[in-house]
Amino acid sequence: MSEFEPVLTARWGMDAPVGIDAYERTGGYQAMKKALAMDPNDVIEEVKASGLRGRGGAGFPTGQKWAFVPQDTCKPVYLVVNFDESEPGTFNNRELVERDPHQLIEGIVIAAHAIRCHTAFVYTRGEFLYPGTVLEQAVAEAYARGHVGRAIAGTDFDVDIVIHRGAGAYICGEETALLDSLEGRRGQPRLRPPFPVVAGVYQAPTAINNVETLSNVPHIIERGAEWYTGIGTEKSAGPKMFSVSGKVNRPGNYEAPMGTPARMLIEEHAGGVLDGRRVKAWTPGGSSTPLLTEEHLDTPMDFESVQAVGSLLGTAAMMVLDDRDCVVDAVLRMTEFYAHESCGKCTPCREGTWWMTKVLRRIQNGLGRKEDMPLMEDVGDNILFKAFCALADGAVSPIQSSLQYFRDEYDEHVRLGRCPFEEGSPLGAAGQPEAGTQAATPGTETATGQVGEPEQGHVSLGEALE
Amino acid sequence: MSEDLATLTIDGKEISVPAGTLIIRAAEQLGIEIPRFCDHPYLDPAGSCRQCYVEVEGQRKLMTSCTTPVTEDMVVRTQFSSDQVHKAQVATLEFLLLNHPLDCPICDRGGECPLQDQALAFGPGESRYVEPKRNYEKPLYLSPLVALDRERCVLCARCTRFCDQISGDRFIELFDRGAAEQVSISPGEDFQSPFSGNTIQICPVGALTAVPYRFVARPFDLKSADTVCAHCSAGCNIRSDLRRGQVVRNLARENDHVNDAWICDKGRFAFSHPDSADRLRTPLLRRRGLEPVSFRDAFGAVAEWSRTGRVAFLTGGRLLDEDAYALSKLARVTFATNDVDHRRYRSDDVPELVEAQQAAGMSVTNGDVERAGAIVVVGLDAEQEVPILHLRIRKAARRGAKVFVIHSRRTRLWDVAEHLLVAPGMESSVLEALGPEAATAGESPGAASSQIERARASLRDAQGGVLVLAGTRLAESAGGVSQALALAAALGGRFTFVPRRAGDRGALRAGVHPSLLPGGRRVMVAEERAEVETVWGGPLPAEAGRDAHGILEAAARREVDVLYLVGVDPLRDFPDAALARRALENVRYKVVQDAVAGTHAPYADVMLPATPPLEQDGHLTNWEGRSQRVRPLRAPAGVARPDWQIFQELSEAMERDLGLRAGVERLQKEAAPLLADRVVDLSGLGRSTATSTLGDAGDGLILFTYPLLVDEGTLSDGADELKRALEDDPFVEVHPDDAGRLGLADGAPATLTTPAGSATVPVRITPHVAHGSAFVPFNQPGLPTNLLLSGRFISPVTVQPAESELGAA
Repeated sequence: MSEFEPVLTARWGMDAPVGIDAYERTGGYQAMKKALAMDPNDVIEEVKASGLRGRGGAGFPTGQKWAFVPQDTCKPVYLVVNFDESEPGTFNNRELVERDPHQLIEGIVIAAHAIRCHTAFVYTRGEFLYPGTVLEQAVAEAYARGHVGRAIAGTDFDVDIVIHRGAGAYICGEETALLDSLEGRRGQPRLRPPFPVVAGVYQAPTAINNVETLSNVPHIIERGAEWYTGIGTEKSAGPKMFSVSGKVNRPGNYEAPMGTPARMLIEEHAGGVLDGRRVKAWTPGGSSTPLLTEEHLDTPMDFESVQAVGSLLGTAAMMVLDDRDCVVDAVLRMTEFYAHESCGKCTPCREGTWWMTKVLRRIQNGLGRKEDMPLMEDVGDNILFKAFCALADGAVSPIQSSLQYFRDEYDEHVRLGRCPFEEGSPLGAAGQPEAGTQAATPGTETATGQVGEPEQGHVSLGEALE
Repeated sequence: MSEDLATLTIDGKEISVPAGTLIIRAAEQLGIEIPRFCDHPYLDPAGSCRQCYVEVEGQRKLMTSCTTPVTEDMVVRTQFSSDQVHKAQVATLEFLLLNHPLDCPICDRGGECPLQDQALAFGPGESRYVEPKRNYEKPLYLSPLVALDRERCVLCARCTRFCDQISGDRFIELFDRGAAEQVSISPGEDFQSPFSGNTIQICPVGALTAVPYRFVARPFDLKSADTVCAHCSAGCNIRSDLRRGQVVRNLARENDHVNDAWICDKGRFAFSHPDSADRLRTPLLRRRGLEPVSFRDAFGAVAEWSRTGRVAFLTGGRLLDEDAYALSKLARVTFATNDVDHRRYRSDDVPELVEAQQAAGMSVTNGDVERAGAIVVVGLDAEQEVPILHLRIRKAARRGAKVFVIHSRRTRLWDVAEHLLVAPGMESSVLEALGPEAATAGESPGAASSQIERARASLRDAQGGVLVLAGTRLAESAGGVSQALALAAALGGRFTFVPRRAGDRGALRAGVHPSLLPGGRRVMVAEERAEVETVWGGPLPAEAGRDAHGILEAAARREVDVLYLVGVDPLRDFPDAALARRALENVRYKVVQDAVAGTHAPYADVMLPATPPLEQDGHLTNWEGRSQRVRPLRAPAGVARPDWQIFQELSEAMERDLGLRAGVERLQKEAAPLLADRVVDLSGLGRSTATSTLGDAGDGLILFTYPLLVDEGTLSDGADELKRALEDDPFVEVHPDDAGRLGLADGAPATLTTPAGSATVPVRITPHVAHGSAFVPFNQPGLPTNLLLSGRFISPVTVQPAESELGAA
């Protein structure tokens, strides 16, 4: 895979967004025509054979999901495109749509044909004002050209694409919460089973796919499963979008084969760490995947390899912290995000993320106690795999992994009674504290007695969650 | 063993339950209580509180037992055999307590709180949470009845799910998210559900509290007794809690044959009536005024008046079965008259045989309603009249039953039923048109023909049986009852009346009826009458008596000398206030037997203090024909005594022993064979044609009326919060087309003029009443609607903008 030829980003050199003329001129909508001439089952078989796995994080085989859609229920079948990209650090769907929206639309039409669906919903993140507009315009172009709508490309296949804008809730990226939100209800996850593929939108069979997943589909149809499996690894086939951000010289989205080592993505694609510093910690797949460290940089970025080192590929969103960054501060921010975005439905997530935010903020403010670290470990254990959906598991990831790899940094906060990285601190410029030396410094025992007293007499919820 | 059973072990104990049973329910059957908050057996599983974790062998994660159905050979371990489960449950409890205030000592729920109980049983003694708790303003009044303390709320969503799944009126909802998630209501909205109190009862903490009960009592202060609600014919099983002899709250008891786990707000909150200032505690005899006398003197007076005079008996719908039986016997045996009635419709309106059948035993049950394939509701606003039946119909609809409502006003079944809005009195024509053999569907007035056509097809194809549930108001539509029976028969379904009042069915069964004796035996059929004569001894009068309307007319003409009123106030209850007044003015002697003095007290010559159900042992028969035990919760006030006992003693004063002196058990034993289920053959019943009762209304409208759930009825006396929450001021509803034609403006006063009288009330313009009709609730404050009626609950009416308004325009 030395010479990787861009697939999903092939048109990224062109003026963005790529309009329908430019898209067609460069071979666009040919795959759709090819697919429409095929039997739907053959399309599914082709996608199955390609080994394409869902890019939304779970990595479920796409062809298999389509094959599970029951066709004998007397109910319509729906396709829902999850464009509610909200995971901190993840921004590839947005750019895929902003630059090349027709690639997604073509993927939608092919998928719709495969599962015999005549209405596809694109659930678009509420904050995506611009990408949403780009997509709306592209869909209008595709309708005008007869690629969407009635009797597509001269066949008897019809599909409508409905763009639905969310109202700004991370939880609505969770597929069942997305369905409730799409139906006009409060976005909270549904009980499973029944799974969406059996009872999704309006209790009808529904396939839910990520934007990046569907953007792969035209290429698989056009160039064949065999070509596709030649990219990436055996179990994680194909090209992958990597969103690299944080302390790197060139943050951005980079397309590379599945299995590309993290180090290559950070150092070559993203131009290395800012100011030549060392990588201290990084997320392989967004803030909900356990943090990894410098020693994991040679991990191939595919589903299996990342899991083997104790994390998850997730959405392949790599946020890089360098040696001047405070891990406690970073984890606090991530945890605050999850506390803010917790839907409130289940107890461990609602109360646990709130609690952890409070403890982390207290530590960061210099009021940490020695018992806070075992407390967070235990509470993390009480949340993990015990909440209604995976949001809470994601919330626990940065806490547990940072306690695993950076426990000394927490201890240092407690010992000093302040953040060692704060302005004016001797460590502020020196980078990571050396645990051995500082742990021995006497006389700075944290004033645990103050811990029970609130900073203010009355903390309103609004303030507390800010 | 059926193949639909699954056998599993829980904590090593084996059990077989129907496949699909939830683990938490299976565990209950083994006596293993898995802690829970969001789970409720009558709500869909939610899995949101995460308290009920169990370990299931072969599963990587712990499972919530309230959402996981059992499977064959499943091995389940609860907190009693799994440390992992125990830790998870303690953890959830710790999470729930993070933000829970420590105000148990002043919380209404303290002492009967699942959260408190579980915290005591296995919760951590001290919290590891040292941060400030979240604060909310408290309480938040969701309505005059329901106050919400958001700090105590554990967000189990039982209340919001109840409103969504059971009552279907989603006034309250979860707002915001994360730790800020809270139950709330839209600004300016009121939790105007007649079922709102159920959310209080199912709240697993003290978050939802009943305003009338706030800070009133502690559980250990209360004396509780199981009884049956006497507000309507639903027969809900309730528990009454008394503090120092006064009822302070009613709770629903679970009975899936009757009320599942629910009661309406009237049943829950209207309990002060027996403690009214007008409560009768001693007999009163009119001398210079009404003066307290002994029962002996009172009976002496009644005996003297009636020894030579003609006596007629009227009662309402609130007698216990035993009282109704004794009244039926008293009238026939002691006074040799069949002038006894409890009804408000006319004898001619309902074929006697149909009433006989209804009196003869149980007919359609709640279970039948729940399992029906299609339900036709006619002449009944179930939510307002028999609220728990409304919930059962909703439950049936959720299970797939097709529901049709033939009514002149859209009911709150609107979201689960198709309403055929029909002009008042024309219900019979729609019933006729719905029959599978009806000629054309184009002819029925009121409802659109396409709608009739659809309904007819749907009824024809209904799987699982058709039920026709008729309110007694169907009697107002000429031929309505026989059309309803014919429709049910043609569809292979069943018909039943759903009377409104708690004692209606029992009174019918006991023969408080001018031509029916106990068990529906006809007075004029010698062999049926003989069956009763055998038990009662001696010949009984063989001619049918007068119905209630006839009795009042006779009284007004001075053809009655003694009018004996048992638990009824004709001035308020009968659909002709003027006739009732004339009757009371003209009849020589008025005997009033009641628990509380009504508006007719000034006419009374003697008043006999009876006990309300609260102070009496007996039974009530609900609309299904199900007889249920009512228990005395306290001693009678003063010398008040049960109606049946008064009848016995009066009869003794007349030197005729009713044979009931030995007590209520003796009475029940005597009545049992007469009230045993009988088969009444309806095949001889003719079918009357559907015609309008009123004829052409011309330019006017047809007024129709029925009592709303919460009104000025005396049983709601003292329930101030309930009235503030749910009682409407008087109004008249007219269709927009009629309003336009008549120049009526929404909200502006209009004058209603009927042959009986006139009244001015504000107009509500709504498409939810039938064309050509005007709905006025029967008894809202300031407007006793029977002033406008001439013997029926419908009447021609002209509606005009009120003069004052015209002048201003």
